[in-house]
Amino acid sequence: MKHRTGWILLGLAPFAIMVLAFQVAPILSMLMGSISKPGVPGFTLNHYDKIFHSAYYLQAIKNSLLIAVYSSLIGIIVGLFCAYSITRFTTKIRDRLLMLSNMTSNFAGVPLAFAYIILLGNNGVFTLLFKQWGWDVFADFNLYSWSGLVLIYVYFQVPLALLLLYPSFYGIQEQWKEAAALLGARPWQFWRTVGIPMLTPAIFGTLGILFANAMGAYATAYALVGGNYNLLAIRIGSLVAGDIVNQPEVGSALAVLLALSTLLAVYLNHRMSKRSQQFTASYASGSSSKRIRSRKQQWNATKEEVGT
Amino acid sequence: MNQRKVGWTHRSLMLLLMIYLLLPLLGTFLYAFAKEWQTTVLPESWTLEWIREMFRDARFLDALWTSLYLCLISVALSLAVMLPAVFVITVYFPKWETFMKGLVVLPYAVPGVVAAVGLIRTYSSGFIDITGTAYILIGAYFIVILPYMYQGIRNSLLTVSAVELLNAAELLGASRMRAFVTIILPNIWPGVIISTLLSFSVLFGEFVLTNMLVGGHIQTIQVYLYQRVNESGHLASAIAIAYFVFILIVSTVLMKLGKKFNKVVGR
Amino acid sequence: MNASYLELQGIRKTFGDTIVLNDVDLTIREGELLTLLGPSGCGKSTLLRCIAGLTELDGGRILLGQKDIANLPPRNREIGMVFQSYALFPNLTVFENIEYGLKMRGVAKKERISRCEELIALVDLGDKRDAYPQNLSGGQQQRVALARSIAVKPKVLLLDEPLSALDAKIRKNLRSEIREIQKRFKMTTVFVTHDQEEALTLSDRICIMNNGQIVQDGTPESLYSTPRTEFVARFMGSYNVLSHMEATRLFGEGIGSAASFALRPESVRLLSVNKSTNEYDEIAAGKRIIEGTIDSVHVLGNVIRYVVETTGVRLTIDILNDGRSLRTDEQRVVRLALDPSQLLQLEKEGA
Repeated sequence: MKHRTGWILLGLAPFAIMVLAFQVAPILSMLMGSISKPGVPGFTLNHYDKIFHSAYYLQAIKNSLLIAVYSSLIGIIVGLFCAYSITRFTTKIRDRLLMLSNMTSNFAGVPLAFAYIILLGNNGVFTLLFKQWGWDVFADFNLYSWSGLVLIYVYFQVPLALLLLYPSFYGIQEQWKEAAALLGARPWQFWRTVGIPMLTPAIFGTLGILFANAMGAYATAYALVGGNYNLLAIRIGSLVAGDIVNQPEVGSALAVLLALSTLLAVYLNHRMSKRSQQFTASYASGSSSKRIRSRKQQWNATKEEVGT
Repeated sequence: MNQRKVGWTHRSLMLLLMIYLLLPLLGTFLYAFAKEWQTTVLPESWTLEWIREMFRDARFLDALWTSLYLCLISVALSLAVMLPAVFVITVYFPKWETFMKGLVVLPYAVPGVVAAVGLIRTYSSGFIDITGTAYILIGAYFIVILPYMYQGIRNSLLTVSAVELLNAAELLGASRMRAFVTIILPNIWPGVIISTLLSFSVLFGEFVLTNMLVGGHIQTIQVYLYQRVNESGHLASAIAIAYFVFILIVSTVLMKLGKKFNKVVGR
Repeated sequence: MNASYLELQGIRKTFGDTIVLNDVDLTIREGELLTLLGPSGCGKSTLLRCIAGLTELDGGRILLGQKDIANLPPRNREIGMVFQSYALFPNLTVFENIEYGLKMRGVAKKERISRCEELIALVDLGDKRDAYPQNLSGGQQQRVALARSIAVKPKVLLLDEPLSALDAKIRKNLRSEIREIQKRFKMTTVFVTHDQEEALTLSDRICIMNNGQIVQDGTPESLYSTPRTEFVARFMGSYNVLSHMEATRLFGEGIGSAASFALRPESVRLLSVNKSTNEYDEIAAGKRIIEGTIDSVHVLGNVIRYVVETTGVRLTIDILNDGRSLRTDEQRVVRLALDPSQLLQLEKEGA
């Protein structure tokens, strides 16, 4: 069977070359860049040192972390309630609702920022409308600031949370509720003792994805505030693509930090989904229809992740 | 699943969610057709002028064309590279799958802006200087859609139990190549088409890498939209809506295909 | 007929640290239907895949009509195989599936068509010739798979648990159909199953496998009546397996030196306590009479199965359910007639 080796290599070589050239090499190069001295050979941790002693960069990191945490938490809470709600509808309506949320998740990045500018920007339709109606509740609201960013981030986090969470509600079987009720548990007691613990891995896993998603989001913020708001992703972009000063090494170091945070979050998701698989393993009988459905979900999920 | 009446809490919650999600879309849509829209809930007068202007705009058509051919080339390249690779791995080296899973999760886990940093560093100097060219973008796009293509092809292979079919064909006297062409390809084709379309729509919406790697030199529809945002709101709305309608068509086709495919294989 | 048509010599196969096939030797005569029988994980399917060339050998030779085929790719081995999941090509119709092998071998179109028509008629799927596999029932798919693999007239036909995915009734019908077709074409066939009943009804010869070895082979009758080891005794039916001590308690001294013994459940007779007349006949026939207590009674259909406790040994006893047999209550005392000639000495495992 040795004669097959040639074919196998021929099939794998282009793939290996592409992955090495455009995935492995850039990551290595970035790692190297973050610890190399500009212009001269040798290694240094100066760039990291600089970052951790610069109020400016620290603020960018803090802003990014905060916006990621806030938008993920809001996203997961709204997503949880909506996901539960969606399971109460008939299959037909449920599929429509899911399709709509899936559709809006395509509406991200530049077009999304733009839509918000139309609605809530300085000359946005609602801004002017509210002004005319004399509603001052929104007078302090500024789309191009922290609150505006959170609003937009939540917008793309909610459908993602919903799509990732709703399948786990189907893992909670109606019969468990019935069994708990027969054993004397009230609905809230059921949720506290069985329901929520069952959902916990899925919740934390989804939280990981949402966090990574918000940390890495660039297009939306860039289109909305350009370089004006101090976010990690925006900072990296301007350092490398160079608006004013070109400091690729610091950019690399910042990028390494950003990648670490998102990798960690995705790893959390991985661990959690393994655990929730353990819970549901005995029920996922592996019938083909189930497999295909889960594949669809996977696609939706992956689509979400990269979409922003 | 359950025939009982859905409570008003759930109904109103879903209604609120849908309003929240659809409002920005609706706003953009109305803006694209609005002539006069200030201080009223709905526009005062309507026009098709922005749509017409969009199609008269040579730069828009250029950007659209650029996006189309860049996406097409990248997806075609990915198809040509991934089909044999995933086939070989699934059939001959199933043990590598864990490694492959890790490899294809990287493009999700590493944000676009980080990938751009690495790519710029690698290809902006030295003996391969391809920053600002379509080559680096196609390479980057290849990595962006790697997860979709890998998952799609692999799942299709598993769904049709490719290894078993291959064994059967081989025992009946077919060579590996012939078995691949006559049996495996026709059976995985629907699934592969789905992941191809999905990849295409993902690339069509890509902004970060495009803008950072080739922003000044090559204009895709996303980059163009970004540049027009601050010029004319109405025109930008028209472009955004056109883009969205396009994506909508792709995803509808995707869903139809998906359903059809499930029906064929899902027995 | 050729005495050794397909011959396996010292087949060895390991996956990692586990030895899946440990020096397997096997000869199969032309036209014979041989069954590899064993529990899951015993290596029977791997052995089949080795013959087909789908799994590489670590050592050994495979001779098919004096020619070593161990290093040939599957397509040149002239071996047909029916897979457990059938592996029908979903993109091809029934007709095209059956035609596939002929096409690959470059058979002329006219001949292909006539051969396919013949096979479609043989498996009785005339009205389904243009249907796709997805639209067939499990039994129909199985027939297509069978027709497809014999269309190219392979020298050996391999069947890998072909009936395990079907429900009981269809399984029995297809079983006899496969046997009929096999006999009609005098097809040398290797059949893999874990179902001993299937093996007994279908085979010319059975090889029982355990832990990567063939532990016993022979005709269905000989395997059933004289299992050599405890494993075979337990696998072939509901044999009572007795330790030396237990056997001595039941049969007295002088039964032999083996460590364990097997006693067929239907070889023991149940006597009612009172009818002493037929007890004398039994003693005259050299049987031993022992008293025991009925533990449980199960009606299995044409057989009634008693579990009887006697001298500290639990015996399973099968009596033909002919309507005349005594329906004895549980916990009742009965007398058993044991036939020493039916007591089988068992060899040690792996001997």
